[in-house]
Amino acid sequence: MPDSVAVTMRWTEIDAEAPAGRVDLAELWRYRELVQILVWRDLKVRYRQTLLGVTWVLIQPLLTTLIFTFLFNRVAHIQAGGGIPYVLFVLAGITLWNLFSSGVQSAGNSLISSAHVISKVYFPRLIIPAAALLSGLADVVVTACLLIVLMFWYGVAPPLAVVLAPVLVAICYFLALGGGLWLAALNVEYRDVRVLIPFLLQFGMYVTPVVYPLTALPDRFRRVAYLNPMTGVVEAFRGALFGTGVPWGALIWSMAVTVLLMISGIAYFRKKEGIFADML
Amino acid sequence: MAQPVIEVEHLSKRYVLGTREFGYKTLRDALTGVFRKTPASDEDELWALRDVSFQLHEGEALGIIGRNGSGKSTLLKILSRITHPTTGRARLRGRVASLLEVGTGFHPELTGRENVYLNGAILGMSQHEIRRNFDQIVAFAEIEQFLDTPVKRYSSGMYVRLAFAVAAHLTPEILIVDEVLAVGDTEFQRRCLGRMHEVATSGRTVLYVSHNLWSVEQLCNRAILLSSGRLVRFGKPSEIIAEYSDRRGASSWDVSAIEDRSGTGSARITHLELLATDAHQTLSSVEFLKPFRVRIHFEARRPIARPDFGLAVLNERGERILVCMAAESGCDAESIDGIGWADCIVMAPCLLPRTFRFEAWIIDVRGLSFADRVEMVGQLDVGLGNWTEHEVGQLQVDWRGSIYVPSEWQIKPTS
Repeated sequence: MPDSVAVTMRWTEIDAEAPAGRVDLAELWRYRELVQILVWRDLKVRYRQTLLGVTWVLIQPLLTTLIFTFLFNRVAHIQAGGGIPYVLFVLAGITLWNLFSSGVQSAGNSLISSAHVISKVYFPRLIIPAAALLSGLADVVVTACLLIVLMFWYGVAPPLAVVLAPVLVAICYFLALGGGLWLAALNVEYRDVRVLIPFLLQFGMYVTPVVYPLTALPDRFRRVAYLNPMTGVVEAFRGALFGTGVPWGALIWSMAVTVLLMISGIAYFRKKEGIFADML
Repeated sequence: MAQPVIEVEHLSKRYVLGTREFGYKTLRDALTGVFRKTPASDEDELWALRDVSFQLHEGEALGIIGRNGSGKSTLLKILSRITHPTTGRARLRGRVASLLEVGTGFHPELTGRENVYLNGAILGMSQHEIRRNFDQIVAFAEIEQFLDTPVKRYSSGMYVRLAFAVAAHLTPEILIVDEVLAVGDTEFQRRCLGRMHEVATSGRTVLYVSHNLWSVEQLCNRAILLSSGRLVRFGKPSEIIAEYSDRRGASSWDVSAIEDRSGTGSARITHLELLATDAHQTLSSVEFLKPFRVRIHFEARRPIARPDFGLAVLNERGERILVCMAAESGCDAESIDGIGWADCIVMAPCLLPRTFRFEAWIIDVRGLSFADRVEMVGQLDVGLGNWTEHEVGQLQVDWRGSIYVPSEWQIKPTS
């Protein structure tokens, strides 16, 4: 009996009266390999049997950047400001926005698309939205490479603050996860959410300074725009890359919202976890 | 005796049926629900499991026996932590792996090799464990040459073999298995059973559900019988199987001694028999929506010319739900004399999963009278067949009545 003679046996407690909502970190850690393999599966499946394969990860942001540059810069005459080429400006915005929006989308729908597994096997359900979001992080790495190449091309040297960039990507990830957890749990009970998510995200892109600089807004709108937690993250990301200054106040607000969304999202998710298998 | 490995105390699970709580809601339901708090009435509830308690020690293999809908799967789902109990508690000591289906999480686009790692991880194996057992898994599944082919191109047999091979190499302290041997060819089933036997005899604790009573007797040294969500009995597999077979009811009913009957008595119905449509085997229950055959055995005391036969299915209150008659179906017998039988094949039964009784009669057409008629005899148990829990829940509630008819709907909102 190679595996069964463990010195300390683990007890599994099932109790109808046990309060839900606590997160068992030790258990999550034991399941880390499952997270890895689910991310690996998502990445593998996404581009299998496609002609262009992984190049799609490059083509998507590249085409979006070209279209946005044409529409908003050439046609609508929006300028990046600070002497930054609009192409770089918008690509930086897209990099973070795509992480957020694809993350919220995939995390929000993750429980429903894993319904079958949820009704047959136990593992901490938190893994599902977290893994769904992680595969989006791989895309960010590729887009970031594209960004670096283009910065060289345009001769834009990043300031020292560029070390902040990974931190900002992390904040963006957790912001998306916090929102994604809420939406995923709500989606199990209320399928309205599935319809609502794309609409919310489309709306979100316009209230976030992705295609326009915040300075393009009148003063009173700018203050309202900062309420959107993504505003601070995107602006700080550009500041870190192009040396146009990091809006610390807005960034702290974004981090506060992130923490709040994560804590409440996990609590709500855990509270509803028990009914997932019955509702899906 | 040592401390038990599994302790189950007063476990119950209630499903609330109906549109409001069962299945998914829409935001509108939730919003209107705030203002209209209607408590769920009793008939909208289904206790899938009710006050179940038992203990299991290390190395014991428990067979769980019961009819469809008796709560077997619900019990396994609670112990696997897939769903929460409504009341009660359970403690399990050691690593728990549950196998409620083979191949959970298999992705059709991925190759056999990739799916071994994916499925293994989902079942709770570490990558190290899978790597160590990889060659054995592949050998067990006999799919070496197709290891790098996407499983969507596998035959169903290959798919099942690979899926079971992964599961067969799980080495938890507690293994929960639901009816997974029902797939694959006989030879493979035999090997799976052998593998399960190894697991059960190597000191692990096994919980096993199967309709194959023979395999329960082979594999288990303890068994429980569930009926309507309640634990009826805990004991040795042979005893439990015997009790189950008794309860499951007969497939033939002697009605010759029944005194409460009407008719002239020129012929007498002696017994009824429930058979598969091909008449090759007897049935103790039938499946929802599946045709079946009822054989009416009779003895005519004198020749009866152009008799007609009838069979009715009654609900438990004795009300007629279905009536089938021989002559109107185009079956005319010239005459009957002595012993014989009349078979009624119910072609498209629409009976819901319930227990029904029979009424049977022979009409002496010339005499314009019943030769014999018996009612509330025999027993027709309609089981759930392949229907899912969700649909079954909707079917078992009382307010559905007794029959099910497929319907098509068209809704036109007036705007």
